[in-house]
Amino acid sequence: MEEGKEGKEEAVAMVESGIVLHDFSGRLGEQRVHFHAMRLRDSLFLWVGAAPALASLAVAMCSPRDGVPVSTSLLGDPSDTASACLAQRLARKTKKQIFVSYNLQNTDSNFTLLIENRIKEEMTAFPEKF
Amino acid sequence: MAANPIVTSKQREEVVHGVPTEVVCTAFSNSILVVVTQYGKLGTLIYVDPNTIGDNIGRPSLTTKVLLGKDEPLVHVCAKNLVAFVSQEAGNKPVLLAMALKDKTMEGIQALREVIRSCQVW
Repeated sequence: MEEGKEGKEEAVAMVESGIVLHDFSGRLGEQRVHFHAMRLRDSLFLWVGAAPALASLAVAMCSPRDGVPVSTSLLGDPSDTASACLAQRLARKTKKQIFVSYNLQNTDSNFTLLIENRIKEEMTAFPEKF
Repeated sequence: MAANPIVTSKQREEVVHGVPTEVVCTAFSNSILVVVTQYGKLGTLIYVDPNTIGDNIGRPSLTTKVLLGKDEPLVHVCAKNLVAFVSQEAGNKPVLLAMALKDKTMEGIQALREVIRSCQVW
């Protein structure tokens, strides 16, 4: 019993020592795209861009009632839904609360699919970073 | 494929007044992201924006806007106390602050400010 309790405390401590940063990039189409991920407890912050600016931010999380994760824009032009869409897709995949800052001009659906696939590829390769 | 990061981040873990605390600062070209957490998550998101007009003594005044989470006076006060100097030292850039604090006492905030300072990326 004692041991079990100790083990649990240790697990909690491990979770607590926790923010993990991870940078990666990819050449998608003609463009070099950079990614900056920050893994937090039960949530993930992900920045996507070609230049180091942060111009938009959205959050998404799974809803107990609805199959589609709910999302909202927090920063930037609310009519630009690229951040929210990507956050929603990643929330569905990971079941986590996802913050996304998408800072690319190209929001064409084929292109955002490449972006999403690049992220998923990295998630598969380094699950401990996400 | 782990390329050179395009954005600079500094990270620090410290026990501040008995509370395990994590701080991450990231420099973007148009703003600074500061995460101060004692719960391991982002918590309340506040956008701290320097006004160009400024106050009487020539320092830009800061507007705080809660983007996500509880919008109460103490949040605005804590936010300004924590990152006003970051905005100023970064050349009056806006700061996106993510804050999840157990200890919101004056002493606690002051100590946290020093931890943020140790993660200087601006």
